[in-house]
Amino acid sequence: MSVEIVVFAILALMAVGGGFGIIVTKNPFRAAMWMVLSFIGSAGLFVMLDAVFIAMLQLIVYAGAITVMIVIAMYTMDRLTIASLKRFNNQAYFGALFGIGILLDFIVIAAKLKINTAQMGKNLSIAGSNVKAIGDVLFKSYLLPFEITAIVLLIALFGAVALTKKDL
Amino acid sequence: MLAAYMFVSVLLFAIGATGAMIRRNFLIVLMSLELMINGAGMALIVMSYFTGNISGQVMFLFVAAVAASETAVGLAIAAMMYKNKKSVDINDYTTLKK
Repeated sequence: MSVEIVVFAILALMAVGGGFGIIVTKNPFRAAMWMVLSFIGSAGLFVMLDAVFIAMLQLIVYAGAITVMIVIAMYTMDRLTIASLKRFNNQAYFGALFGIGILLDFIVIAAKLKINTAQMGKNLSIAGSNVKAIGDVLFKSYLLPFEITAIVLLIALFGAVALTKKDL
Repeated sequence: MLAAYMFVSVLLFAIGATGAMIRRNFLIVLMSLELMINGAGMALIVMSYFTGNISGQVMFLFVAAVAASETAVGLAIAAMMYKNKKSVDINDYTTLKK
């Protein structure tokens, strides 16, 4: 039990510290590296929560694809232009205050949360396989949302192509 | 442990929201949005584990698809902003004012 708490503390520190690094770093490339650290910490937490498939998805899609896309977009821009911006807005105090308000609000909600934990850690795998359980539910109960997800991705592709056309 | 996991999720969401509001660089605003989506997804996974219901993990797949779409469109907007004004400072883009 104590080992679990130590591992949880390390991973949570990685996730939250990486997130904090994103919003205080001046250089956007370093912010991207902090983002990778945060996503790796989150993936570790997902492994602790018996969501092995989702943890791998997190590493591949978020820490791999999305970070690489953002960094490649950064490569096409002038380094001095993007790295020499001032850090914060003029209204940053109000924004930070609002963020702290969100945090306190959600902490109160999370502390008051009462759920039935009798089934804790069960039903998450079929025959020892997390992927089988996800596929079972995904293709039996969530088939229509799955198809709509494909349409959403297609529309996003069209939107990205249309936005970067020359004569816009 | 439920409160601890939910606390991490909430903290990720709040840090992302704060970053999206206070930063100037549009690319970092995009990264903060990713962080917010990740925090919300972590809440899904935590609830999936503590209630013993796999549906939360399935929902995370849809959340990840939406996050990927959002990044694609956001980066297209960033490229267009840079092409038009050679800047990704969001304060240079108050063109709808007045």
